[in-house]
Amino acid sequence: MPKQSLKSTALIATAALCVGAALAAAPSTTKRIKVAMVPKLLGLSVFKANEKGAVAASKDLNIDFLYTAPVTASAQGQVEIFNSLIARKYDVITTTSNNPTQLAPALRRAMKMGIKVVSYDSDVSADARDFFIQNTSYPEMGKALVDSVAKYIAPDAEVAILSSTPDATIQNEWIKALTAYMKTAYPKMKIVTTQYGYSNPTQSLTAGVNILQANKNVKAIIAPDGGAEVGAAAAVEKLGLTGKVFVTGCSNPDSIRDYVKKDVIKASPLWDEVKEGQLVMHVARLAANNALQKNDSFTAGSLGKFDVKNGVIVFSKPLVFTKANIDQYQF
Amino acid sequence: MTRTLQEAPAAARRPRIGGWELALGVLLLVQLLVFSLAVPGFFDGVSGLLNVTTNFLPFGLVALGLVPVILTGGIDLSVGAVAGFSAVLMAVLWKHFGLNLGVAVPLALLAGGLLGALNGLLITRTRTEPLIITLATSFVFNSVTTALAGAEPPSGFPDSFNALGTGALGGVPYQLILFAALAIVISLLITRTRFGRSVVMVGYNRDATRYSGINVDRTVLGVYVISGVMAALAGVVLAAYYSAVRSDMGDILLLTALTMVVLGGINIFGGEGSVLGAVLAVLLLGFLRQGLLIAGFSDMVTTMVTGAILLVAITAKNLLSTPGAFTRRMKERFSRPSTAPPEQLTK
Repeated sequence: MPKQSLKSTALIATAALCVGAALAAAPSTTKRIKVAMVPKLLGLSVFKANEKGAVAASKDLNIDFLYTAPVTASAQGQVEIFNSLIARKYDVITTTSNNPTQLAPALRRAMKMGIKVVSYDSDVSADARDFFIQNTSYPEMGKALVDSVAKYIAPDAEVAILSSTPDATIQNEWIKALTAYMKTAYPKMKIVTTQYGYSNPTQSLTAGVNILQANKNVKAIIAPDGGAEVGAAAAVEKLGLTGKVFVTGCSNPDSIRDYVKKDVIKASPLWDEVKEGQLVMHVARLAANNALQKNDSFTAGSLGKFDVKNGVIVFSKPLVFTKANIDQYQF
Repeated sequence: MTRTLQEAPAAARRPRIGGWELALGVLLLVQLLVFSLAVPGFFDGVSGLLNVTTNFLPFGLVALGLVPVILTGGIDLSVGAVAGFSAVLMAVLWKHFGLNLGVAVPLALLAGGLLGALNGLLITRTRTEPLIITLATSFVFNSVTTALAGAEPPSGFPDSFNALGTGALGGVPYQLILFAALAIVISLLITRTRFGRSVVMVGYNRDATRYSGINVDRTVLGVYVISGVMAALAGVVLAAYYSAVRSDMGDILLLTALTMVVLGGINIFGGEGSVLGAVLAVLLLGFLRQGLLIAGFSDMVTTMVTGAILLVAITAKNLLSTPGAFTRRMKERFSRPSTAPPEQLTK
C-alpha cells in the first residue's frame, strides 16, 4: 500500500511537472488529503446537492472525501462528529453550522491540532474557522428577492414576509437587505406584516393562510426560507389566489418546481448548490496546501476566479429560477 | 403485583457487585480493548482516553440524578428542560446582570433543585402520574427558557469556567472527577442512609412502605429535587463544554440518560438496581458511541446500535433474572434426549 501510494505520488508529481507551466494557477494535488463535509443534518436535498459537487471535485483534487452529519439538526451532534474527525486526523473540516457559538470550541480545538476549517452556507464564529464561503452577498439576495415579485405587482402594492424563525441570522440579514433595496427601488411598496413558519412547510402553510386572510390587499409574499416558500405557495393555491398573489423565496428547485410551473411562483432566487460544493472542495484543498491567505484571490477550475476578503469568499450572484430554466437544475 | 418485604430489595442490602454489574464491567473492558486495538485514533494515551469521557459525561450526570427517581418507580421527563433552563439562567445572570459565575452557578443549581421540588410537589399533592406531570412541566420550562434566552443567547464564558467542561487536572478531566465524586455520594446515599432505603422501599412496595410509617411523599419529593439539581449541573457542565448556551441544549439529554439508567439494570418499575450499574452503563454507552464515531460510522449507525444494544441487553437480563426460569429451561434442554420434539423446547 505505501509503495503503491508512493508510486502514484511519483506519477502525479511527474505529471504535475510536465504540465506545471500550463497549470501554474491550479493547486498542488500531490499529497492526498482527507476532507470531511459536515452539513447541519443528513437527508436535506440542498446539502445533498453540495455533496454531489464536492464528490465530483474531490476526484480532480486528490481528496479522500467524507460526507457525514447528525440525524437531526443539532449543534451537539455536529460537535460529536468534529471530535471524531479530530481523532481520525482529518486535514480539513468543512461545515455549515446549526449554531455559530456552540460549535466554536470544538472547531478551535481542531484548528489547534493543525486541521483547517472551512465553513460554508451558515458561518461559525470568525475565530473558529479559516475561511467562510458565503452563498451570495446579502444585498444581492435582497435585490433578487424583491425583483422576483416586483415585476408582477403594482409599484405601490402591499407585500408580506414569511420567514423561518425570529432569530435566524441569514434570514434576518436578507430581510434587512430586501427592505433597504425596496425603499430605494420601489419606495411606494409596503411591507405590511412579517410572520414565521419555523422552517416547517405545514406551519408555514398555516402562517401563509393567516397572512392572506388577515391582509386582503397583500399581492406578494416574500418567503426567504426553504419551508416558508413552499408553505406560502401552498397557501396561495389553497385560497385560489393564483395569478393574484405571487410568491418568492429561496427553496431548492425540486421543492418548488410544481409551483413555478403553475405560475404561483414566477421567479425564485437561490444559487447553484452543486457548484458551491465544488468550490468548498477547492478552498479545502488550497487551505490544506497553505496556499490561501485571508485576503487573496484564486482560480477554482471551471468555476472561475474568486476573491477572499478577511477570510470570506462570496460564492456567486443569485441564480434565479423561472419556468424557463428550472428544469436544468435537479436538486 | 404484591411483593413481600422478606425479599429485601437488592439495593437495600449491603452493596455487593451483582451479576449484571459484573457483565457490564466485562463488556466495558472488552469494548475498550477492541476499540483501542482496532480503531486508529481511539486510544491516544491514558489521558486521551479519559478525555473522551468529556464528550458524554453530562449524560452521566443526568443518569445519576435519574437513578433515585426510577428506584422509586417514578420518572422525570423534565431533566432536559431543567438542564437547559439552569444553563440559560446562569448565562443570563452572568451576562446581563453582571453576576460572578461563582455566584451564578450555585444559583442555577438552586433553581434546578426548586424546579425538581415543583415536580415533586405536583406529583405528591395531586397524586398524578410522574410521567404526566414531568411531561407537562418540561413544556413549561422549555418555553420559559426560550423566552429567557432571547434571540442571542449568551456565549463566550471565561476560560476558567470552560475548564469545567474541557479542562483536566493531571490528565483527569474535571468532568470525570465530578462524576466519580457524585456517583460515590449518590451510591452511599442509596445504600447507607435511611432516606436511600426508603427510596428503594417506595419503589418496591409503596403501600408496605406507608404502613411501616415512612413518609412516602417526602421521599418522593426528595428524589425529584436530586434529579433537578443533577440536571442543572449537567446543564452547567454543557455550557462550559460549549462555552455557549441555547434554550434547546438539554433536549438530547433525556433519552440517552434514560437508556443508560435502564441498561444499568435499574428496574423501570422501581425497587431494584444499583448506582454502580448505572455508572458502568454510562461508560459503556458513552465509549461505544465515541468509538463508533471515531471508527467512521455515521450518527445514524451509532444511534441504531445503541437501540439494538438496549433491546438485547434488557431482554437478556429479563430472561436471566426470572427466578430459575432460564436456568431451568437450559437444564431441560440439555437433559432432554435429543429426539425431543422442538416445539416443547421453545415452550
